[in-house]
Formats: sequence, C-alpha cells, structure tokens
Amino acid sequence: MSAKALIDHVKEATGAVEREEVTPQGQVALHVTPANWHVVAEHLRRCPRCNFSMFNWLSAVDMEDDGFEVIAHLYSASSLQAVNLKTMVPREGGSVPTLTGLWRGASFHERECWEMFGIDFAGHPHLVKLLLAEPFVGNPLRKEFVLMTREAKEWPGAKEPE
Amino acid sequence: MGVVDKVNLPQPVKFVFNWGRKYSLWVMNFGLACCAIELIAASTSRHDFMRLGVIPVAHGPRQADLLVVAGTLTDKMAPALKRVWDQMPEPKYCISFGSCSNCGGPFWDSYSVTKGVDQIVPVDVYVPGCPPRPEALLEGIIRLQTQIADESLKERFERQRREAIVVGGPVGPVDLSNR
Repeated sequence: MSAKALIDHVKEATGAVEREEVTPQGQVALHVTPANWHVVAEHLRRCPRCNFSMFNWLSAVDMEDDGFEVIAHLYSASSLQAVNLKTMVPREGGSVPTLTGLWRGASFHERECWEMFGIDFAGHPHLVKLLLAEPFVGNPLRKEFVLMTREAKEWPGAKEPE
Repeated sequence: MGVVDKVNLPQPVKFVFNWGRKYSLWVMNFGLACCAIELIAASTSRHDFMRLGVIPVAHGPRQADLLVVAGTLTDKMAPALKRVWDQMPEPKYCISFGSCSNCGGPFWDSYSVTKGVDQIVPVDVYVPGCPPRPEALLEGIIRLQTQIADESLKERFERQRREAIVVGGPVGPVDLSNR
C-alpha cells in the first residue's frame, strides 16, 4: 500500500484521523486524539490490509506548553511498511489508553514512558517502574526536571552550537 | 579474620604472606559497560594479566580477592555492587576502571548514574581513561601489588580510610580531603 492509499484507507475505515504527515522518505504519521488512540491502533493491528503486527517502539516528546506527543511506531511485516501513530496529551493528568491488549510488547514501552514523562496509560495491567531505581522521585525526561549536578556546576560545553 | 590482622607479624612471615597474596589476585570482573571489553582485552594473550598473577576465573565474589568495577554504575545497580563487595572475603581490593566508575565520566550530569563507585565501595586504585587502555589496567595492578607487598594487615584493618592510588597521578598518598 502506498502512503496515500494507507492514509485514505485508515481515514475511511476509522474516521478518527485528525491529520496526517508524510515525510519525503515516505514515512507516514497519523495524528489522533487520545480518545481515538486505541480505536485507530486496533484497526492498524487487526485489519488484514494494514496488518501492523509488529510494535516497534513507543515514546513521547516533551513539547513544553503544548504537552507531550506520544508516538507509537508500528511495522507491518507483510507490506514492509511502517507508520507512526501520534497523539497529544496535556502536561498534567495526561492519559492514553494502553495498547497492551493489542501488542503484549507494548507493556515495557508504556511503563518506561510512564516513569520518564508521567503519562498515564489507562488500563495497563502492571504500571510500575521499569528502569528507574525504586526510591527515585520525578519524571527525568520532562524538560522541567532539575539535574542536581548541573545546578551545582554549569554545563561546560556550548549550549547553542553555531 | 584471625590472628594475622591482630598482631604485627615478623617481617619474614609478613613478606611471605604479602608475596603470596600479591601474585594470586583472583579477580571479580564487575563489567558494566564498554570498559569491560578493555578489561577482557587485558586478560587475553596480547596483554595477558595472568602473567602478573591476576586470575580472571573467580567462580564468584566469595572466591575473589580483587574487584574491578569497569563501566557505568547506575543507582539501580549500586545495591548489587555493594552486595558483591560484602560477599568478598578480607583482605580484598578494589580497582575502579574508567572514568564512569571513577566519577561518572561523560554521565556526570545524569539522573541515573552513580557519580563514582567510591560512594559505594572503598577504592584502592583509580584507573582513568574513557576507556583506559589495557596497559593502564596493568599499571594499576602493578601499583596495587606494590602496595600489597608493603602493607601490614594489622595496620590495614586499623586504618579506617585507605590511601588510594591514581594511575598516572602523583606517586604516594593522595589528598582526598577536598572530595
């Protein structure tokens, strides 16, 4: 399926795609609302034409005032095609439905995203810390997270390289 | 440990004990990152630290005399390092191998990396480098063996803090008071 055909197909089948992007390399990104996150993901997983059977990774980007952009990267082994599923959640109290029911492998990615950004994954069966030590407080990949060492000593390199 | 750390042994006995100990360092390889590869390189045929009596086949910490921490220690891994160190029988020695284990190295501002294994275990020799060459480890081992040859176990146990060696740094006691 070409990038355009994929976009048109998903738009038609789910009616939940807000907007889409295609990079010059042909990488498709579908933007959805958090409420439609699971609906679109389920279609991409179950529809025989899409068949995105491989959950490659899930992460988030701190967009500061706009909130966090959660990205799931899915891959289809039959059409050798990848797609980015994206959604925006607010900084505080952001919640996204879990995808563990569709891909078991989503569990670790969602746990990591939860501890690093503080984004809730509603319905996740075991949302506990994955990589951070047990007594750790805070969400270290948020931009407002204070690195104590950097408070004590300035970053020695150039902050905005020319 | 017994009588040898309670009394000052006669010089010939002390010499024999220290000589035996310094040429039979069973090493526990606590490899955590790329520095562990340099440590392995130091044990293989080109550098071959077995010719110095360092034996890299300790079955576990309970059979080891020397702990080499090679790589980035994270706060989550730190309890495991402490546990390994506590299982090792006295007299035991520790080499901190590479910038990460010395002070955090390139991860100096990280939220998850322990800034120096000396916060967890007492370090006898610091080997700087990112990663250090195997020769640097050999130098560290030789410096440690020189220290073992001169030491008195009684004094070692009485002294709370050990004087650390920095490979490539000043020879003799190092001032750690400003750390």
